[in-house]
Amino acid sequence: MRPNFFHHLHPPTIPAQQARFHYTLAAGGLALFLMLILLATGILEMFYYVPTPDQAGSSIQALTFLVPYGGLVRNLHFWSAQFLVLFCLVHLLRVILTGAYAPPRRFNYLLGMGLLVLAVLLDFTGYVLRWDEGIRWALVTGTNLVKSIPVLGNDLYLVLIGSPQPGPATLLRFYDWHIFGLSLVVLILGGWHLFRVRRDGGIAVPPPAMRQDQTRITRFELVRREALAMLLASTGLLLLSVFAPAPLAPPITAQSALSETARAPWFFLWVQQLLKLGSPFLWGVVVPLALLLLMTLIPYIFPRPSSSELGRWFPRSGRPSQLLALAIILTILALTIVALLPTS
Amino acid sequence: MRRYFLFFGSVLLLLSLLIAAWQESRRPRPVALIPTLTGQVEYCLTCHSDLAQISSSHSVKTFGCVVCHGGEPLALDANLAHSTMRGGANPSDDSVVQASCGGDNCHGGSPETYSDHIQRATTSIQATYAGAIASMLYTFGAQPDLTARFAVSVVQDPQSSSGITGLSAFGQVQASNPAIKLFGQNCLNCHISAQPLPGTEYARFTGCAACHTPLTPVGLLPGEGQGVTPQVHKLTTAIPFTQCDTCHNRGNYDLRSMTFQSRQDLPTDRLHAYYQPIAQFTTCEYKLECNDCHTRTEAMGGGSLYGSKKDIQYIRCKTCHGTPTELPLTKTLTDPNDIAFRLAQLNPVIDLKIGDTILMTDKGDPLWNIRPLSDGSYELFDKASGQRYTFKPVKGSGCTQDPSRQDSASCHQCHSVQR
Repeated sequence: MRPNFFHHLHPPTIPAQQARFHYTLAAGGLALFLMLILLATGILEMFYYVPTPDQAGSSIQALTFLVPYGGLVRNLHFWSAQFLVLFCLVHLLRVILTGAYAPPRRFNYLLGMGLLVLAVLLDFTGYVLRWDEGIRWALVTGTNLVKSIPVLGNDLYLVLIGSPQPGPATLLRFYDWHIFGLSLVVLILGGWHLFRVRRDGGIAVPPPAMRQDQTRITRFELVRREALAMLLASTGLLLLSVFAPAPLAPPITAQSALSETARAPWFFLWVQQLLKLGSPFLWGVVVPLALLLLMTLIPYIFPRPSSSELGRWFPRSGRPSQLLALAIILTILALTIVALLPTS
Repeated sequence: MRRYFLFFGSVLLLLSLLIAAWQESRRPRPVALIPTLTGQVEYCLTCHSDLAQISSSHSVKTFGCVVCHGGEPLALDANLAHSTMRGGANPSDDSVVQASCGGDNCHGGSPETYSDHIQRATTSIQATYAGAIASMLYTFGAQPDLTARFAVSVVQDPQSSSGITGLSAFGQVQASNPAIKLFGQNCLNCHISAQPLPGTEYARFTGCAACHTPLTPVGLLPGEGQGVTPQVHKLTTAIPFTQCDTCHNRGNYDLRSMTFQSRQDLPTDRLHAYYQPIAQFTTCEYKLECNDCHTRTEAMGGGSLYGSKKDIQYIRCKTCHGTPTELPLTKTLTDPNDIAFRLAQLNPVIDLKIGDTILMTDKGDPLWNIRPLSDGSYELFDKASGQRYTFKPVKGSGCTQDPSRQDSASCHQCHSVQR
């Protein structure tokens, strides 16, 4: 068979033991696929979305209710974005819990962390673009966190928000960051990340016993497996989008105010919960950034996992980094659950 | 990987695409409406095409739905579309009436253009309940006289011509008397912004719709309307007595227990559904609608704050019937912009033309549904049913009543019906 364009994006053959599902969980590949869906559905949404405070809400309503399949496209974009963040986290955990960040992959780990941050920022900016009552927390508490940063805060707020309080300039900025600023960087970092996967020796290093296995799979088989993953993921996304519409609340108006029940988007619920502990700068900025920094530095501050242990889950030599990552993730998860509990 | 995995994966995706297409086909086809007043497209008719037009003066083509009701004009999800509606299903509720019905060109304008309805309704006795509150506070020694100082909620009217420029909220009353506390708990539902008591005999909306959206079909007695689906999407000036009855004729407040004692008799005909607070009454008082005689100014107020019902209610028997020495006042319509024409157009029970003569109250309010006939009698058109009645003036009859004593109790000495 003559390889087509998509086949040519892959190496001619790879060692069969590199592409084991129970090792990779296909999280990285699915994240890439979701990114492509987000790109396609996002471009479609741009034909209808109007980034001004008085029209943003109604343009989304028009897209959702009046444009044929518009609601489906929006739901696909929404669910893809949520799963992108989830799969990025799963991918990160997989890399840490298998010690796959070991040199020479340390730099690619950094690129991956950058992509995770970008995915969260894209999710956040996209969420703000709704400009409806549901984003009140982000608009008030979220943006005020920037102000809490000593010395730089007020200037940074003006740069990000564009005016002394959220308004048309804010929405335009979030829109530009979403469709251009952040997305462009994702494309560049994403391409670089993929390049480094191949440069650093393929998807994953198999365990020592399997490294002798000379069996290889061709790019044809690889593309078939990817196609199956994409088919199943698309089916899931479609069904979810048909039966679980993306949230939509009444547009923000001058009369509406922040209510007691205003919630952060799910991926920032843990920060909202932390903020209840006290100083916004400490709990809303310093602590989250410190946790992010700790995760980022894992390949650099902990001993390298031994080469003989690579290719399997929970290598003994990677215990400290595994414990740290699990502690951070479980803490975030616990804070999120507490934030979701009804307040008595 | 086995090749048929791909085949089954494709089948699954195809199936989910079919489900998506099926779901899309089930979505209602949007029905757009661009009201001439707003020029903004709205899709409410997608679901509400079967709703009757609320009134001929609020045509759907001109007003649409959103200008009065609020809501999300583009949303085809019921929850979202209805989430920002003003006053729930009733945009005329006092809390939102300015946003829904106000504006210089609608009902928030000036007395000169007869468009100050909101100002009149919100300052009227029906909204403030000021007279009853003053009377009760005086009775229980909480204030030295009958001057109105309190209303159901705070209301200011700096331009008031009645001398009362503001009333404090009842909650501000400083009194330890348990009766006054009970009054606050039990008796403040007699005003148009309050929710009515439970039961079909009390059924009404709040705000403008309390009166202008009659829930009981015309001509039905209390109790007869049960089981009849009320036509609720309606605003009318053809208000039947049954609508007034939902507040004014359902029973009395017992000042000893400060509880509402509901009316126990079950009227079987209009005569026995008589207006309870007056013991004696004559034919017109039980056959006509309340608003056939009581004017719009009496019912909705004159635009100022009033201290009691007596300050605004002034219609007497002589308003229509005159006295032994004088005929009732009349007015010949010469101005095409006369308010009488507008009122007759809103409720076309009578065909008024330039040059027609109608009756007029001593304060100048037009009794536009009553006009003199050539034989010296008068014709009256019932504002709810449109039925025509004729009646004669006192002058020229055998009546010997002193012209200076024209209160209804005096007239009822001779003119009252037995029930």
